[in-house]
Amino acid sequence: MKPARHPWLLTATATLICAAFLLPVYWMLNTSLTEPDHILGESPRWIPAPATTENYSAALDDDALLQALFNSLVISSGVVALTLLFGVPLSYALARVRMRGSGTMVLALLVAQLPPSIVLAAPLFILERRAGIDDTYLGLIAADTTLTLPFAVIVLRPVLGGVPRDVEEAALVDGCGLMGVLLRIVLPLMVPGLVAVAGLSFLIGWGEFVFGLTLAQEPGVQPVTVLLNSFVGQHGTSWGALMATATVICVPVVCVFAIFQRFIVGGLTAGSIKG
Amino acid sequence: MRPPRTTAVRPPRTTAPRRTFALRPSRSPSARLRRTGYLFTLPGLAFLALFLAYPLLYNAWTSVHDVGLSGLLGGATRFNGLANYRATVSDPDFWHAARLSAVFTAGSLLFQFTIGFALALLFARPFPLNGLLRSLLLVAWLLPPVVSGTLFRWMLDGESGAYNALLRAIGLDALSRDWLIDPGTSLAGVVFANVWVGVPFNMLLLLVGLHTIDPELHEAAAIDGAGAWQRLRWITLPLMRPVSVTVLLLGLVYTFKVFDLIFVMTGGGPVDATSVLSLYVYEVFFRFFRFGEGAAAGLLLLVVPLLAGAGYVRRLRREEGAV
Repeated sequence: MKPARHPWLLTATATLICAAFLLPVYWMLNTSLTEPDHILGESPRWIPAPATTENYSAALDDDALLQALFNSLVISSGVVALTLLFGVPLSYALARVRMRGSGTMVLALLVAQLPPSIVLAAPLFILERRAGIDDTYLGLIAADTTLTLPFAVIVLRPVLGGVPRDVEEAALVDGCGLMGVLLRIVLPLMVPGLVAVAGLSFLIGWGEFVFGLTLAQEPGVQPVTVLLNSFVGQHGTSWGALMATATVICVPVVCVFAIFQRFIVGGLTAGSIKG
Repeated sequence: MRPPRTTAVRPPRTTAPRRTFALRPSRSPSARLRRTGYLFTLPGLAFLALFLAYPLLYNAWTSVHDVGLSGLLGGATRFNGLANYRATVSDPDFWHAARLSAVFTAGSLLFQFTIGFALALLFARPFPLNGLLRSLLLVAWLLPPVVSGTLFRWMLDGESGAYNALLRAIGLDALSRDWLIDPGTSLAGVVFANVWVGVPFNMLLLLVGLHTIDPELHEAAAIDGAGAWQRLRWITLPLMRPVSVTVLLLGLVYTFKVFDLIFVMTGGGPVDATSVLSLYVYEVFFRFFRFGEGAAAGLLLLVVPLLAGAGYVRRLRREEGAV
């Protein structure tokens, strides 16, 4: 599109829109830094002056929050590991090997993303309890991976398919073994795709709620999202501590996004429109 | 696999670089390679069969059996045909939830798509800080839904909420209210929050679509004297149609799924004013432990996403020639 005559005017417009749009996020930070006495009332403070860390110490003083943060970290790391472990060979085979039924498999992976979590949570609740893996990290990691794995393959398959076959063949001719081809040619080329998948899987695992709510009753394994929800119910009006908790939960999200931003945006659009 | 369909007018490409999916058959299709291929797919597929396909089938089994809490402990269950389905479709609460789902989904789609489109048009133009501002918007989409839900519960709070304070500041005191407690506005409140979550994603996908429109079309039209509005009406909008339909179908699937955001904001209340279908299934299954009926309702809940998914896959096939 043609460059605008006053590009800074566009910048100003976009900045205003972003500011209005992100008001809730600012408000979360603002409330979390405001003294508890000044949070409730008809005229809220738009700037946290004087700022206080009181809400954060109140929130982090609770062992339950630390435990839940740890649980979420374990769960989302497990989800990343399991997704890559299953996803990489699966997408490599689907991209590279002419197999009977590979078209059906890709279709099945697209369909696998359709069911609402609650529909899957219901039978998993019964089955995991019978198998004795309800209330375990494993049960939650496995449930979350049903969300990430189909998505991962849909993102990774085109990336792997994009590696020129000629390059692989040339390397083979030059005496590079099949393993060498994978390690030296294919893997480096798929790093952006892997990073995107790892980052997004982590975010999905970190933010997951439905399975955490239904498949775990034990505080020793429940993710932090479930804890936040029960906080909202219990301490409905201590918004300072609630917003401090919410902010703490957001920290890893923002970090992961800041580091992997480029990869994630690319992977996200690739996975959605391209399929 | 279908060969690419050749049409007289090809739809604009929806993605920037097209990669070839239809790989040439390997020159020496050795059986060994194929066997390794199957071996590679095995762990992943076995996992999905065990944790996704089997539970869904088991759900279908449950839906035609009389299963209550005793069934969970391995007690006797009885085949009862379509009784669970009959019970579900004759439950007025189910239809109430279906209506709410329809309103929630339609409202969310309408606003998140329109606002997302407008923002995409803005961000399609080059200006300083474009990338940074765009990324900032995306943060809203990446926050865990439970966090966004908590956030909006606070923003929409009656007495101390920031939005009511804003309304009072500009003299619209009459409008300020306890948005999520008032049964008349609670649904609008959750739609509002869901639109906030959905706008960045819509914008991002539509932006990808806008970038595939050949700038020469706009230049040529401008030379011919077409104004900005005319170019939008006669170039951008028609060329964006295929991408728009795809984005709306995806939005339909995602919006219909929403559970956590509403659960955290209102828990379905006040008095079921926001109890959409996903919350209805949760209630029946996890609160009343009527597993058979919950499973039946869950399967009925699959209808809309499956239809949307079928439309989505059809479009993909048409555009890519193969899935």
